[in-house]
Amino acid sequence: MDAMEKIVGRYEDRIFTFGLKMCGHLQDAEDIAQETFLNAFRYLKDFRGETKLKNWLFMIATRACIRKRRKKKCEPDYEISLDSFIHEDGSDGKYEIPDWSDDPSDNVMRAELKKIIDVAIQKLPHKYRLVFNLREIEGFNTKETAEILEISTQSVKTRLHRARLFMRDEISKQYMEGRAQ
Amino acid sequence: MKKECKKDFERMSEYLDGELNDDICREIKSHLRHCPECRECVDSLRKSIELCKKVAEEEITADMRKRLRAALRNCFASEQS
Repeated sequence: MDAMEKIVGRYEDRIFTFGLKMCGHLQDAEDIAQETFLNAFRYLKDFRGETKLKNWLFMIATRACIRKRRKKKCEPDYEISLDSFIHEDGSDGKYEIPDWSDDPSDNVMRAELKKIIDVAIQKLPHKYRLVFNLREIEGFNTKETAEILEISTQSVKTRLHRARLFMRDEISKQYMEGRAQ
Repeated sequence: MKKECKKDFERMSEYLDGELNDDICREIKSHLRHCPECRECVDSLRKSIELCKKVAEEEITADMRKRLRAALRNCFASEQS
């Protein structure tokens, strides 16, 4: 029990963030964190340390997110095609990506950017969102992400690239719309 | 989009992540030097990646932390009994 409490204390913010970025709702994020730690508690005796504890927890959290999505009977996933980013004129288009201000007093700008990015993440199809959150937000490398999701490293690379292009599109679009208002 | 541009467009993330071998990186760098469109594309992609990483942090609220820990304590106790 003591060991488990230490694990919860150490990883609750990370697992909660992951749940929130995956589901977009506080209650769902809380459910995912609870399910993740409860399952970790149940199976901790089987954990052999072949992988890092953090990776093992994210593997459990990922499964909790997939189960949550199934229960909610969400829209089916769709593929993001690379061609969808190539414009009619044959170019990749023009993008306006705002700068991040390191000045803590720039709270309004920071809050707006956070909102734009959170909305864009929720628009990503689920399988791309999983890869994007694990790689970009949680900082796992390609191999670790492939192990957590039980997919090939090539699939991780393909999904991440498409997710990044999607995010760039959305951020630029939302930012330009916001400025026009 | 030219054939060479499309080839680089497809592997731009791997380029930014340093996951390509030296020969391919050199090839892409050389292409970027001569192609302003691809340069703009790689710059905007890099900028949006950096932005996502900076904005992403979340912190569990004190209330939620308290509630989660209480719920887990109950679950752990009932699992043990």
